[in-house]
Amino acid sequence: MLKQRETAGAREDSAETRELTYAQAIREALQLAMNRDERVFMLGEDIGVYGGAFGVSDGLIDQFGAERIRDTPISEAAIAGAAIGSAMTGMRPIAEIQFMDFITLSMEQLVLQGAKIRFMFGGKATVPLVLRTPAGSGTGAAAQHSESLEAWFVHVPGLKVVMPSTPYDAKGLLLAAIEDDNPVIFVEHKLLYRTKGHVPEGYYTVPLSQSDIKREGTDLSVIATSIMVPRAIEAAEILAKKGIELEVVDPRTLKPYDATIATQSVRKTGKALVVHEAPKTGGFGAEVVAELVAGDAFDYLDAPVRRLAGLDVPIPYNRELERAAVPQVEDIVREARALVEGVY
Amino acid sequence: MAIPIIMPKFSMTQEAATVVQWLVAEGDSVEKGDLLMEVETDKITMDVEAMDAGVLRGLTVKAGDVVPVTEVIGYIVPDGETWEESAEALKAESVARAKATPVAQRMAKANMVDIGSVPSSNGQRITRRDVEAFLQTPVNGNDVAAESDKLRATPAARRIAREREVDLAQISGSGPKGRIQANDVAAFVLPTVQVEAEPAVNVVPFGRMRHTIAERMTQNYQEIPHITFTISADMTATLELRQRINAHAERDGSARISVTAVLAKVCGWALQRHPLVNASWHENGIEMHDTANIGVAVALEDGLIVPVVHDAGRKGLSAIAAQVNELTEKARFGRLQPAEVQGGTFTISNLGMFGIDQFTAIINAPQSAILAVGRTKKEAVVIDDAVEIRPMMTMTLSADHRIIDGAVAARFLHDIVQAIEQPDIMLW
Repeated sequence: MLKQRETAGAREDSAETRELTYAQAIREALQLAMNRDERVFMLGEDIGVYGGAFGVSDGLIDQFGAERIRDTPISEAAIAGAAIGSAMTGMRPIAEIQFMDFITLSMEQLVLQGAKIRFMFGGKATVPLVLRTPAGSGTGAAAQHSESLEAWFVHVPGLKVVMPSTPYDAKGLLLAAIEDDNPVIFVEHKLLYRTKGHVPEGYYTVPLSQSDIKREGTDLSVIATSIMVPRAIEAAEILAKKGIELEVVDPRTLKPYDATIATQSVRKTGKALVVHEAPKTGGFGAEVVAELVAGDAFDYLDAPVRRLAGLDVPIPYNRELERAAVPQVEDIVREARALVEGVY
Repeated sequence: MAIPIIMPKFSMTQEAATVVQWLVAEGDSVEKGDLLMEVETDKITMDVEAMDAGVLRGLTVKAGDVVPVTEVIGYIVPDGETWEESAEALKAESVARAKATPVAQRMAKANMVDIGSVPSSNGQRITRRDVEAFLQTPVNGNDVAAESDKLRATPAARRIAREREVDLAQISGSGPKGRIQANDVAAFVLPTVQVEAEPAVNVVPFGRMRHTIAERMTQNYQEIPHITFTISADMTATLELRQRINAHAERDGSARISVTAVLAKVCGWALQRHPLVNASWHENGIEMHDTANIGVAVALEDGLIVPVVHDAGRKGLSAIAAQVNELTEKARFGRLQPAEVQGGTFTISNLGMFGIDQFTAIINAPQSAILAVGRTKKEAVVIDDAVEIRPMMTMTLSADHRIIDGAVAARFLHDIVQAIEQPDIMLW
């Protein structure tokens, strides 16, 4: 009896300080959403029996059955099309595209159909769809399994784009995305799946279009997305030993993007470095920079606003080249330091 | 123009070659591809060929000489041109050419730069770096002018300069390429005050309090849209009340009450009835204060300070008077604690004791109003169609128009006057 009470007490404590991985946090959000709303279901390649290419949906088929955790044929166009169609007819689908690279095959359905339906039907039809997909390099999966294509979708009116960087945000943003009546592209990062963080039990949402300050600092604002958030924080800890304090801002939602937090941060620090994994040219970072220099931050800038992003190359298979193709911690340290010290 | 014959480089590490023999002589005509000379390195013996047709001129080396690679050893003067013509044109260039590294020469040629005009950084050979530096230097006169006209300064530096009315041209920049940073402007502003203090002018340096007053008054006056309302009150009843209470206080040994103390009580009472006057402006809304905390402006030798009587509306006159006296005393001796000057929601500034009839005051942000109180003096007033002599006092309320509209201010002042003229109304 005593032992049982102790165990119960321990479980309560762990509710406060409980750590989950990013993948577990997403799975928990999926479970909560499906328990709460019977219209929510999942579809994708190998998400059922196999549990998903990265194990995110592991065990969900046992809990919710094959009707709600639907393994599909290998057709990304069909996955997107079926998801959009079911969303229009009253369901709240969560589609999974196994690798973001394969979203190329879903483009017609997503861009030409899903993004425009609510607009073209004058609001009489909505597409409450969430499309989850892992992006990013670092797994040695080469050029066709490593891309970061978020900027494409940011450019399409009618789509929302979310990129969580922590387990806490992943759970809260996914639940907010499922609640949203518009198609949301939910971009996960393969290397983040195993990262851990505090995640409250129970249902909560992180509002879309709300940036977050992940670390406070005074000398330079680093506005980073997805995997670049933990890398920026790591860089910040290194630079803190040299007396340089970085403020790390995570946009979290790329579209619709609210520049308020980044603007406030840059008004404080006077300097900004924008970091993302996707190639620099035409990347989301350009949007972040443009919002800063066009807005209230302009008069507070004390250095050129710089971008640190992936090279304009397909992700190489070779491990060293793969590493060199996207920003690493040491790159952020170098660029941040140069901006703060005015050596450029 | 004459074509230079250059000592060729045959291998990667070769630095010089020895002339074995000339196969032709000064003045000979040669065809392209003719053998000119035999040279040897420590490894091999090679022939040097004519790279074009013409007459050999200006041969500078002889058999047995050790010649550095790429050095000019003679010229082929093309047909139809005299050596004298060529020599002049070549002179300047050849001097420089001999002093430039091959890479530098190639870069200069590719960029159509005269290698002779490139300055050498080490005073000996012109290197690739010298050519690069030369290429980056603006050559066009207009460019130079434009460059010096335009000042390099960050947007933040420009904003601060604008706000402080500082001429950026006077500031030297510490940033990359001499760019003016925000810090440069900030650092520049302070010393100017001292620079401008010429000995002929009596400039008294101000202390921290004057600085704070100046900063806050300027800010409050610029940022708050002030509206002012002036009203007079008949002080007969208040003066009688004060007399009665002070007679009592004398017997009791408690504090005598001043007009200011009565006004603090009156304002505290009226503020509870007019919450908008007891409020603070914020960007996102109006903060309504629960208690009326009355600041009482106290003049000091070198400034002023505003101690606060907290929750004056609910305190008795004697308590307020005691506190006002105590705070005033503390203020005059600089012994006020921070808590005693903070948290005010309304201010009274009374200059009646200095004989001022009426004046207007600047609101003390984040408060929304301040009451400027003049002296009480006997005046002829018309009461019920008869002229009577009454002790009258004139007050001016300055109000923050973002919060307080005219009617709100008028109703508040009406209550103040009523409470002054019939103090017992506060007992309700």
